[in-house]
Amino acid sequence: MRASARRRYWRGRVQRVLVAAGASFVLLGLFAIPVYLAAAVAASRAPVGVDWAHLGLLFAGSLRATACAIAVALPLGFATAMFSAHFCAPRLRAWLKPALEMLEAVPTVILGLVAATSFAPWLKSHAATLLALLVALPALLLAAGFAFGRPSRHDGWLPLSVLPLLCAIVAFGLWLSSRAQAPWIVPASPWNATLVGLALGVAALPLVFSVAEDALFLVPREQTQAAFALGATRWQALTTVVLPAAGAGLFAAALLGIARCFGETMIVLMASGNTAIGGFDPLIGLRSLGADIALGMPDAAPASAVWRDLLVATLALLASTVLLSLAAGFVRARLRRRLHAGAAA
Amino acid sequence: MNGTRAATAATWMLGGLVGLCIAAMLGLLFFTLGSGLASLRPGTIERITLADGSSRLAEVVADDGHALLLRTSETRRLGEGYERVRRGDVVARSEPVDAFMIGLGDGRRVLGVGDDAALAAAVGSIGALARVVEVLRPNALGAFEGAGIFLRRLARFVATPPDASNLAGGVLPALVGTVTLVLLMSVLVMPFGVAAAVYLHERRGVGARIVRTAIDTLAGVPAIVYGVLGLGLFVHGIGAGIDRWFYADRLPVPTFGGGGLLWAALTLALLTLPVVVVSVEQGLARIPSSLRDGSLALGATREETLRRLLLPAARPAVLTGFVLAIARAAGSVAPLMLVGMVKLAPASPLDGAFPYLHPSRQFMHLGFAVYDAALASPDAIRGVPRAYACAMLLVCVVIVLNLSAILLRNRLRDRYRALES
Amino acid sequence: MSNSVTPAIDGGASVSREQAAGAAPALRTRALSLWYGARRALDAVDLDVPARRITALIGPSGCGKSSLLRCLNRLTDEIEGTRVEGEVRLGEADVYAPDAFVHELRRRVGIVFQRPNPFPLSIHDNVAYGLRLLGIRSRRELDERVEAALKAAALWDEVASRLDDGALGLSLGQQQRLVIARAIAVEPEVLMLDEPASALDPAATLRFEELLHELAGRYTLLLVTHNMQQAARVSDFTAFMHAGRLIEFGDTDALFTNPRERQTEDFITGRYG
Repeated sequence: MRASARRRYWRGRVQRVLVAAGASFVLLGLFAIPVYLAAAVAASRAPVGVDWAHLGLLFAGSLRATACAIAVALPLGFATAMFSAHFCAPRLRAWLKPALEMLEAVPTVILGLVAATSFAPWLKSHAATLLALLVALPALLLAAGFAFGRPSRHDGWLPLSVLPLLCAIVAFGLWLSSRAQAPWIVPASPWNATLVGLALGVAALPLVFSVAEDALFLVPREQTQAAFALGATRWQALTTVVLPAAGAGLFAAALLGIARCFGETMIVLMASGNTAIGGFDPLIGLRSLGADIALGMPDAAPASAVWRDLLVATLALLASTVLLSLAAGFVRARLRRRLHAGAAA
Repeated sequence: MNGTRAATAATWMLGGLVGLCIAAMLGLLFFTLGSGLASLRPGTIERITLADGSSRLAEVVADDGHALLLRTSETRRLGEGYERVRRGDVVARSEPVDAFMIGLGDGRRVLGVGDDAALAAAVGSIGALARVVEVLRPNALGAFEGAGIFLRRLARFVATPPDASNLAGGVLPALVGTVTLVLLMSVLVMPFGVAAAVYLHERRGVGARIVRTAIDTLAGVPAIVYGVLGLGLFVHGIGAGIDRWFYADRLPVPTFGGGGLLWAALTLALLTLPVVVVSVEQGLARIPSSLRDGSLALGATREETLRRLLLPAARPAVLTGFVLAIARAAGSVAPLMLVGMVKLAPASPLDGAFPYLHPSRQFMHLGFAVYDAALASPDAIRGVPRAYACAMLLVCVVIVLNLSAILLRNRLRDRYRALES
Repeated sequence: MSNSVTPAIDGGASVSREQAAGAAPALRTRALSLWYGARRALDAVDLDVPARRITALIGPSGCGKSSLLRCLNRLTDEIEGTRVEGEVRLGEADVYAPDAFVHELRRRVGIVFQRPNPFPLSIHDNVAYGLRLLGIRSRRELDERVEAALKAAALWDEVASRLDDGALGLSLGQQQRLVIARAIAVEPEVLMLDEPASALDPAATLRFEELLHELAGRYTLLLVTHNMQQAARVSDFTAFMHAGRLIEFGDTDALFTNPRERQTEDFITGRYG
């Protein structure tokens, strides 16, 4: 039996329609979320109005957690991206990128577990140590680089070669703090914004890294080569050519990192204490939008005022993250066009 | 010259921060795995003598420098044996070689000291009241025996159901629930994901641009929002509707109108859709266009070209998407807390009774077991190690899945290199 | 310029332009123009490709030779932003008719590209690919036709014992013959070859030209080449293109020995191109 040309043509048409239908389900899925949320909020006939004060506290809580996390994720993510795209030995880079992908795949419930049950008790009595290490680590690295560093072709392996130094600094800090009698800084609760920020920062780090690295790597090779030809060092090429060209990409990475932190639920749920407190103190607990939804939703009766408030919280969460990721997408698309146009010209 | 020095110093700082990331990653990994493994190791039994002359057999479960937290025999009730003693009150600690521990089915541990006859008598008297699962002399274990006990505990942890308290026994139902869930999810997500990727690959223009933006946006939507959609739309909307039409005789007991496997799988399918689409589309995009031209030139329609040539050639990419989606789904907990995941499921969604797979049933999940044991357990001292044991399993599953995805991707890259050369 | 007379061509090399025009052409274009966006790649090309002869298309690179081939079996449909005007007739059929089945047209007009593009399948499945599209399921019939096609492409003897091996393991010359076998397996009327020998070494090129002669008796061949010696050696007719225009078309001997247009003469004597 031979398939006639006509039958094959129509079979192709049918398959094309099936593919388009499958693709349109994606759109359906996307639009179902805001449409459902808005409709459900609009249809709610709960007698009391939305508790905006509570919602504001939740929003502020999410913001505080995000701010702490970004303080961790941005420096580490950008540094790693800059190093990987510009300095890294190819063999180390081939290993570093998948490793960070794996970190992204680690379930957040595990980060939450480590933060909430193991790190929190340590942090409660060692907040000052942490602060000291945060200041001392970069300073000591800079100092060491100034004292012993020579530009060399082994700079691509720096992360591994300074690892012993890092370990030594951290071990010394820990030893010093274990001898201290009373902690200088005592957080009000072992579950606080600092703890959340550390865990959430680690969770957001791979995303910030991969977006920023993408952008830095897009900068045409010829441009950096031209800088080298003019006698620039690697560092100068980075700061004078690569960063100005790909700065928008770093901005997009920051936006996506913020969106990721703002929407993350499990880590905040486990490590924040879930007390709705306002303010800017990084040493007190908080309650985020996501955690509030996860805690309240299973027990809320549909059509009740609590349910409606949770839906409003979800809408707020959705709107903020979608706006951020759309903005990031816009910035990245523009950057890609510009860099490609630059490469073609 | 000074500028060069400063630049070198700055490079050192960058490198150091990267080193910090690597160290943090490795630390996290080894800490989780190590804590998980440590939770299965038999602890030593000590005889603690206090200043008031009393002495007790106990495991030391915590030591904060000021006080010891002891767990003595639990002969009647789980969790009754905890005791906090100040360090200053302890006058002697010893590890009697003839100490023994009898582990019971509900997680209780009865401690004692004596020869084999005493041990047999103790086992006999306790065994009449409760199920004995483990008898050992932890202080007299050789390295070899210790490893044996460790392996036996690991096997029991993976292959048996939990006790009613969820503090003892294994996590088999959670494993089965996780696997069933992600498989059902992938059955739902793969056709749509591949269809969307094919659409993006074949079409240019407004439609494709809209779908692409939709995928990017979906990737940025927080997981919990999917959970809300699952609970509100799937469970309370569609599920309740199904119940009204088809299961009205069982109401008010919900069938599909409560959280269950099907709704959870659908929710996760939406969540993992961008992962699949991006992976498959990248795979299709990397196939040299000469293959497509060659097939079209032979008189294949576009659809025949896709089905017979491009999709088979991109099979590793499809597989990569599948594996990444599974890894993502296995690790996501927040949305599932809203749509049918429970602490203790009364019945498994997968069993021997027709139709074997019960999509409306509630289920247990490894990720939720971590959360539940760590934060919602009545006995935190048992709960946290148990959470780490679950976390160890989860990390292993996710890492194995991701490693295989990375290997698949490398194979795909090699294959295309062969095509292009 | 030597003129090769092969047994496959009845009447030898003395086929005149008038005789060729008298026979029904296999492919005919009238005022065929092609735009890539705003750029015009073909400009009102009128070409009659004589049936069962080898026609060579020569011209400087970028003159529209490859674009013309792609127009003839509508592979231009697959490139974004292209626009075609004019008429292409394959026998009696209008190639650009709105109700034409493009895939059926493409089967009747096969094409072999510059770089061999075997599919990542076995040798057998490469050749059977087009046959399976036609709905042939019987293993025996597939085997027979695969064998026939491989024999016609002068590849059978080399691969008969390893038909199930991957096609990517073949040498470049073998791959090129494989894609020809793949193309002729579906029994096209016209076989277009886009600089098919440019990736081959001299020995493989020689074998390849022999193959073209063997194929010429059965198929209408349209050969794009940048190698004028090759055009002179293998083709019966030659068309010279320049800047999207068909400048001159005629009997190969006549065109090479006595070109009518100045541009043709400049090109074949190597003044540019």
